Amino acid sequence: MPDLEALFGDPFAEANPVGFAAVLAADERGELLPEGEALLTGYGLGAEFVPTELGGRFDRADRMAAVLRAVFRRDCALGLGHGVTSFIAAAPIWTSGNAAQRNWVAEYLLGGGRLSAAYTELAHGNDFTRVETRATRTAEGFVLDGRKELVNNAARADAAVVFAKTEDRPGSRGHSHFLVDLAAVPAGSYRRLPDFPTVGVRGCLLGGFEFTGCPLPGESLVGAPGEGMETVLRAFQVTRAVLPGMTLGALDTLLRLAARFAAERRLYGRTVAGLPHAGATLAGAFTDLLICDCLCTVAARALHVVPEQAGMLAAATKYLVPRLAQDAAYALSVLFGARGYLREGPFAMAQKIIRDLPVLTFGHANAAVCQSSIIPRLPRIARTVGEPAPEVLFRSDGELPPLDFGLLTLDYRGHDRVLLLLEGLPGEVGLPGVFEAELARWRDTAVKLAPRDTIILAGRAGFETSHRYALLLAAASSVGVWLANRDRSPFLDGGAWIRAALRRLGARLGRHGGDPAEEDEELGRELFARCADGVTLDLAARPLGRSAGTSRGRGTGR
Amino acid sequence: MRHPSYIRAEEFDRKLGDPYADDTPFSFAGCLALDEREEFPEEICRLLDDLGVPAEYVPAVHGGALRGYEDLLHRVRLLARRDLTVAIAHGKTYLGAVSAWVAADDEQAGALGAQIASGAVVCWGLSEREHGSDLLAGEVTAVRDGDRYVISGEKWPINNATRSDLVCLLARTAPGGGPRGFSLLLVDKRRIAGAFHSLPKARTSGVRGADISGVCFTGAKVPANAVLGAPGAGLEIVLKSLQLTRTLCAALSLGPADHALRLALDFASAHRMYGRVLLDLPEVGRRLTEVYADLLVAEVVGLLAVRSIHALPAELSVISAVVKYLVPTTVDRMLDELGQVLGARAYLTGRELGGGFQKIVRDHRIVGIFDGSTVVNLNAVINQFPVLARAYRAGKRAGAGLAATTSLRDPLPAFDPSSLRLAVQDGVGLVQALPEAIEELTSLAGLGSVSPALLATARALWAETEDVHEAMAAYRPSARDVPASAFVTAERYALCFAGAACLLAWLRNRADAPPDDPLWTDGRWVHACLARVVELLGGEPGAEPVGTLAPALLAQYRDGRLFSPWRCRLAGERRA
Repeated sequence: MPDLEALFGDPFAEANPVGFAAVLAADERGELLPEGEALLTGYGLGAEFVPTELGGRFDRADRMAAVLRAVFRRDCALGLGHGVTSFIAAAPIWTSGNAAQRNWVAEYLLGGGRLSAAYTELAHGNDFTRVETRATRTAEGFVLDGRKELVNNAARADAAVVFAKTEDRPGSRGHSHFLVDLAAVPAGSYRRLPDFPTVGVRGCLLGGFEFTGCPLPGESLVGAPGEGMETVLRAFQVTRAVLPGMTLGALDTLLRLAARFAAERRLYGRTVAGLPHAGATLAGAFTDLLICDCLCTVAARALHVVPEQAGMLAAATKYLVPRLAQDAAYALSVLFGARGYLREGPFAMAQKIIRDLPVLTFGHANAAVCQSSIIPRLPRIARTVGEPAPEVLFRSDGELPPLDFGLLTLDYRGHDRVLLLLEGLPGEVGLPGVFEAELARWRDTAVKLAPRDTIILAGRAGFETSHRYALLLAAASSVGVWLANRDRSPFLDGGAWIRAALRRLGARLGRHGGDPAEEDEELGRELFARCADGVTLDLAARPLGRSAGTSRGRGTGR
Repeated sequence: MRHPSYIRAEEFDRKLGDPYADDTPFSFAGCLALDEREEFPEEICRLLDDLGVPAEYVPAVHGGALRGYEDLLHRVRLLARRDLTVAIAHGKTYLGAVSAWVAADDEQAGALGAQIASGAVVCWGLSEREHGSDLLAGEVTAVRDGDRYVISGEKWPINNATRSDLVCLLARTAPGGGPRGFSLLLVDKRRIAGAFHSLPKARTSGVRGADISGVCFTGAKVPANAVLGAPGAGLEIVLKSLQLTRTLCAALSLGPADHALRLALDFASAHRMYGRVLLDLPEVGRRLTEVYADLLVAEVVGLLAVRSIHALPAELSVISAVVKYLVPTTVDRMLDELGQVLGARAYLTGRELGGGFQKIVRDHRIVGIFDGSTVVNLNAVINQFPVLARAYRAGKRAGAGLAATTSLRDPLPAFDPSSLRLAVQDGVGLVQALPEAIEELTSLAGLGSVSPALLATARALWAETEDVHEAMAAYRPSARDVPASAFVTAERYALCFAGAACLLAWLRNRADAPPDDPLWTDGRWVHACLARVVELLGGEPGAEPVGTLAPALLAQYRDGRLFSPWRCRLAGERRA
């Protein structure tokens, strides 16, 4: 496969039809960059979402995240609007669809089709159990009635996966998915709603459907009747695990722009990069990006390696990564000052990313929903002990067993195999004893969580405990990635980044300590070297797109 | 007893009309529409002119109506609550003129005051494209030529650069520059036609209707008496003027925060999830009351800071920096939290669904950027660590000035610009009064008038404050390489200031509070505010006092009052 970065080319080249100038102009117009869409269609992006056994290229969740991350580095709107939306819609089909449905969706996506995921109703938001759109059984199949809102690509998709009520009685078994071929249902039985304009990812077409007596054939039902919530809970383990890893591309670009700004801008007789506060801001954001990547890597690989606990990791990742990314973006926005506020000039991409990032995070399960899915399981997880996760979970180039949606569990009752890495940390990571103590303290609180704190109406104790769980998981994932990948590059091997990562996570847990100056200096050196070499700022350090004819950087795995 | 400045604020808001009505010019919906069209709020600015608001920017001694900065804070806050673009588009004239109030002679100041009262727009020409906050690097020159100055160079980005009649310009008057190498000149653009041109409006992420543009002078000749204050004193005057404007910036954050919290409550009290009204979900309720507590902290900080303009002007170099760092940063974080409550509606443009929340977020980001960024302000605090630490250890008292600052019933002395100082000499009285305030609280607890829990939270604040001052005392100043860790200490100092402000504001004003006000009984608001501050300092806030604020929050929301420890009825009725 050609490399997406190479196809995208130099983002800063004015004439590049998919460069930042074009991306910004499309954002101002509120449309998805047509040249970007054409490029991704030409690349066959749809195949990335189709399992290999159905003719696509989706064999590894971490690879999918890495491919899409390149799109998010260029333009969040393209990443969401042209990419991920279709995968979110397809995941329930891969989870519970029958052979005919799987083949149909595979062919549809491979042919460049757009699949809409029609879940949301404005009145109910993330609370899918209250969805009112209903599918009534008839002699021929079903009749669909109701409104779906905030649905990506609703204006132009030819097919949609619709989540609808199939039972009147309340409870978790009252909903089902339907695969709707919009070209095959009678005209007039549905209409596409006007777009809901958003402040970020303005190019995405967030619309909706209104179904009125829309007849569906019986075979459009996905899985067994009433299985909808169960399918959602399984399918979203995959989407929640990979989505944050994709969107990290936006932070990668923002950080690269900030480093460029800091290197060019002169204040008080020196470059901004030379001011210690600015240096610390850049090093901090770089560290947070690496922490996020560690957690995303582990969450994605867990789907293959430890599928039974993948749901917990996915929810924690979808909760924590957007939060860390947004905090880092805020810190960088302070560094940019007015240049990060202008919709013109060389750093206009910064304000776009600052607007885009929060919109990416509300989509597909917000923080409270993710936390709510973690909280009820915390007491049991904290009580149970066992073996730590195998090294392959953390090694980014290691072989993976295939992803089996059937192995994803809804109610994990075992122990947390990732957290165990925090027991007996090597001395060189610094902060002796801190994480062991924090882990013990967390276990102590988690086992004591009162039942009323573990339900959806959970009080503060539950949310606080799940927040600390996510931070500890991030620390454990970072340690795991460090230990398993030390041989891949001198930077990954050297301890600066892992010490900085644990120091920053420790501070979020309320354990301040350590002098960051030395680590910050090394992180700063690496950051500016990578910017000069044109490689990404995540764990992979991949070459970035550049103008034809210029030489490549140091390449993968430096 | 109701506090008079809040009564005057009510009257002012009423004059602005009902913000929920479609037929008032200064409505929420109208401002949202202007923003979408990126259009300057011309009609609203005219309305403010007609209401005589420009005179509020001119001190009474110079013929205007500005008698107290507390009133100005409330007015700008109420403008910014409706629309930040309007607040900065109109209020900019104060920024343009402030240097005259600080340094001009009476004749100059009086003349400028008369111009402003008759509608002249004044802008403040400080920033340059390549230098931002680094004023010493400024390249715009004013060269003396007989009885004139000849001005050349470009100022950008400048608020109201194009629409202004007058520019209060910082220009290099000594070729070598340096601290005494810059002067302020009041340039009347109407008299230099042909010798300047405007630069196009910059397209910004928020405040889209504002005239953020630039001005380029090409040998413009102005009379020598255009210089404000002494020639060569420009930087000093600017730094002193910034002490006033940075303090007043609190208003630009408090207003939008009030509007945003109201929008979140609109949604949370109507929307249902999991079979309940959102507001009744514990996590949502907690977020909203936490944001409310943060807003109360921000208000108290802003309020005591503007009062200190009158009562403790020599401390303003630190206080203004604390306000300008802490208040916008706090409100940015609050907006983030409120966005979590609003979910998708936080990002929807248009009026029906988000109610314009996304606009508030975009607009407000600029408050932390202009008029000295977070980094600049923290630096200003760091530079004064040694004297602050010494004064705290010595327990220096600020006496009558502190009493007038903290007690709202006390009349404020007239503002005396000659009392402004570039650096503090005796520290910051408010923070240094903390140990005594704790003593007072302890005896109140002994009498049973203060709960042991409130006392414990206040003591936790004290412990953190001691800790922060130890770090400040250990700091070795360095002009060039300010270590990143010093910024953390400065942020923590700002929180200590906020905590001390809350505690003293409660102690000094509780006797005047209505006995049935749930916010003041049992020290409810102060307890919640101290707990938030202690939590942000990384200390132990104690049991959850923040939750006890919920009834007061809802009552203020339902009655259409400003979110505040003091009563202030807002104009108009919220329509469902």
